[in-house]
Amino acid sequence: MSTAAAEGPSALSVEGLAKHFGGVKAVDGCSFRAPKGRVTGLIGPNGAGKSTAIDLISGFKLPDRGRVVFGADEIQGLPPHRIARLGLIRTFQTPREWAGLSLLENVALARWDREREAFWRAIAGLTRAQRQVSIHELDRARAILVEFGLAHLRNERAGNLSGGQKRLLEFARIRMIQPALVILDEPMGGVNPVLGERMATAISSFIEAGTTVMVVEHNLAFIERVTDHVVVMAEGRVIAEGPFDTLRSNRSVIDAYLGEPSFDDAGA
Amino acid sequence: MHEVLLTLGFGLVTASILALSAVAFTLEYGVTNVANLSHGEILTGGAYAAFVVHRLTGSALVGALAAALAGGLIALGMHWLVVDRFVRRGTATLTVFIATLGMSFVIQNTLVIVFGAANVAYTIPQGAPQQIGPFLWTRTGLTVIVSALAITAVLYLIISHTKFGKALRAVSQNRDLAAVTGINTRAVAAATWFLAGLVAGYAGFVLAESVGTFNPYFGFSFFLITLTAAVAGGLGRAFSTMVGAVIVGIVLEFTGGYISASYELAFAFAILAVVILFRPRGLFVNARRTVFE
Amino acid sequence: MIQYLTSVLTEGAIFGIMALGLNVIWGWSGDFDLAYYGYVAFGAYMTLVLTIGKPIPPAEYIIGLQLPYPLAVVGAVIAAALLGLVVGLIALRHLRGIYFSIVTLGAVYVLYVMAGQYVPLFDGFNGLAGLTDPMGDVLNLDYQTYQYFLLGLCLVLFLAVYALMSRVSSSRFGLALRSLREDERAAAAFGRDIYRMKLKAYVFGAAVAGFAGALFAAYLGAFNPSAWSPIETIVLYSAVLVGGRGNIRGVALGIFLMIVVIFESTRFLPEVPNHPGYVPAMREILIGLILVLFLRFRPQGLLPERRLIDRTELPT
Repeated sequence: MSTAAAEGPSALSVEGLAKHFGGVKAVDGCSFRAPKGRVTGLIGPNGAGKSTAIDLISGFKLPDRGRVVFGADEIQGLPPHRIARLGLIRTFQTPREWAGLSLLENVALARWDREREAFWRAIAGLTRAQRQVSIHELDRARAILVEFGLAHLRNERAGNLSGGQKRLLEFARIRMIQPALVILDEPMGGVNPVLGERMATAISSFIEAGTTVMVVEHNLAFIERVTDHVVVMAEGRVIAEGPFDTLRSNRSVIDAYLGEPSFDDAGA
Repeated sequence: MHEVLLTLGFGLVTASILALSAVAFTLEYGVTNVANLSHGEILTGGAYAAFVVHRLTGSALVGALAAALAGGLIALGMHWLVVDRFVRRGTATLTVFIATLGMSFVIQNTLVIVFGAANVAYTIPQGAPQQIGPFLWTRTGLTVIVSALAITAVLYLIISHTKFGKALRAVSQNRDLAAVTGINTRAVAAATWFLAGLVAGYAGFVLAESVGTFNPYFGFSFFLITLTAAVAGGLGRAFSTMVGAVIVGIVLEFTGGYISASYELAFAFAILAVVILFRPRGLFVNARRTVFE
Repeated sequence: MIQYLTSVLTEGAIFGIMALGLNVIWGWSGDFDLAYYGYVAFGAYMTLVLTIGKPIPPAEYIIGLQLPYPLAVVGAVIAAALLGLVVGLIALRHLRGIYFSIVTLGAVYVLYVMAGQYVPLFDGFNGLAGLTDPMGDVLNLDYQTYQYFLLGLCLVLFLAVYALMSRVSSSRFGLALRSLREDERAAAAFGRDIYRMKLKAYVFGAAVAGFAGALFAAYLGAFNPSAWSPIETIVLYSAVLVGGRGNIRGVALGIFLMIVVIFESTRFLPEVPNHPGYVPAMREILIGLILVLFLRFRPQGLLPERRLIDRTELPT
């Protein structure tokens, strides 16, 4: 599986992406690709530029230069909502639920719908067909909440959930959309290890549904477990790319991780 | 040329008052992350205190000290009674901002009850105009400029050279981190508000003195100009705020002198809108960015 | 007594419409808009200049048509919406939180200064007058009957706006708007064009404000800068906050309570001789305190915003 990952079409490819803040080169000519239908890990020590890279790809920050190709589109410089509508969905380091809405509302609202969400529809009302879509959408949202074990909380304020439950809710929203690509920003951050199992299962269910996955994560055991292909960043650049096993012996990867929680421990 | 210099001279007086008010506002903002919409009422309180004490004692100096003290106490009261109670609980900054608007309402109307809503004439002999360098200043105008410079110097010394100043800077930069390092953030914030109140109260006195008349709403109008200066300079950074104040003060004096004084406020806001739109982090910071950066 | 009640209820209905409009901007979209009362005032001014005919010197004002009142209302709504669009285009583009509030405060002050100082616009501090009992002549009503007619009209229109808001509240647009308020980044990451959605909500809110302003002009018959100040908005904010931000039943309750406070508090306050400003000042102190105390102790209001409650049986 791992060896095959580097070949085949890309869901996302990034070329020469750069972003400087004042004199600091947060991302400095970063290039990598995420093979379609696979799980790609993005790792690197703190300050490597992973989060900035994701912000640049998803439109939350403007790149100084570089190209981001997603499917057939060049998306660098587009605003976040346009990128999301093309089917690239991202999460954030801290879960960003809509705290005042219920869990069911959070999941049902995940998919953007130009027609039903139009302002004039709020006044004129929905067509019969649109009402059917809404009903199906709610059914699906319920089913997904059942799948993620959150159904009993569906009427709860999302802001009242625990950290781990918020992560699950985020996964449920992604499940609802089934985007072409999802970028998960540190999904294991602040989550107890028991949930890791559930998240790994969810990630493979994303793949089954046709979603390509990218995971940024510090937890290397988790990376080894779920990814087919790993991109290593340090100081704003990609220093290595390949299956996890081949990186374990890569000199520059080991150097970059010196002083970090040991890279070697991960596979143990 | 002569008229330009004359206007510039007046502009520097306005700018000095504005700088005092704006630096006080910025100090309040820095330590609590709250844009205090009731800041203007500190100035108003200072003006009333100076007026009353000046009349009782016959000394403008005692009046000025009373203004500063009143300002300090009002600011301390605001912090202790309202702002701190929100900030301590981690309430969203916008909520505290709204609460300070409510406080402004309460203080203005308390002053209306105590002193009435009518204008109070506060005339102090301005002294004969003197030629100083290229400028023509009255004795009052000169006092305003010199005292503003002196206060700025003292503030600079306090902020950059004392232990308290160090704590103040730490709290401004990152309140949580400052707390972890053992700084009593609430005490530092309270002391900073008191200090800011002293400065703003004094600013209220010199403003009343140079305008010659005031009422319970006068601080609020001036606050709107203060806000322009503070945002132009970069909210939360004390000394660039003062540069913003000088620029705004001089621009206003010229527009007031050459267009019409009654449009001054509208003009201040036009400046503010332009600054916020193109340089939301102040005139001195530039970056190409999305709304999320 | 009956007269008093009629005027309280009429004013209450008009303020209710204002509060429902503000709830769109603050309750759902989450923007603390200090320009809001400016749209009410602009709607009132526009209604007057569209109905009272050509200015008679020395009075000066723009337009000066003699349109039938309902047409003028439409004009006022459109004008307020356009003004909201201009302010919104500028203020919502990059600004959030306090920066947004500061710019809207600036916008309303510019309008206030223009209305008061620039005489050719709305006759400066004299303001506009002369809208007596709109539609009263067509319906041939005497003075007293007209008061009841206006009350009935305002109540019906309040209910209509309430029904409209109830629709918007339960719509997907309304839900998506609330998601922006809860977390803008997440909303953008899930495909919402924040700027456009907030702008639509803002213009909608401004239009409702203009509508309320048009009714206010009919009720007052005149409008001038002493009839409003930018700070008037705070009364509406208190009402929305007390009742329950985002909950239209709460907003209606809030405006009822605030109107009771505003009108009834004056009865229990002792009069102070030679101090005409005493009662209004006490009332404003009360409003300010209510705002601060609710923000501190019950920010969700008396009737908190309601979530969709799903009662379907599900396996767990």
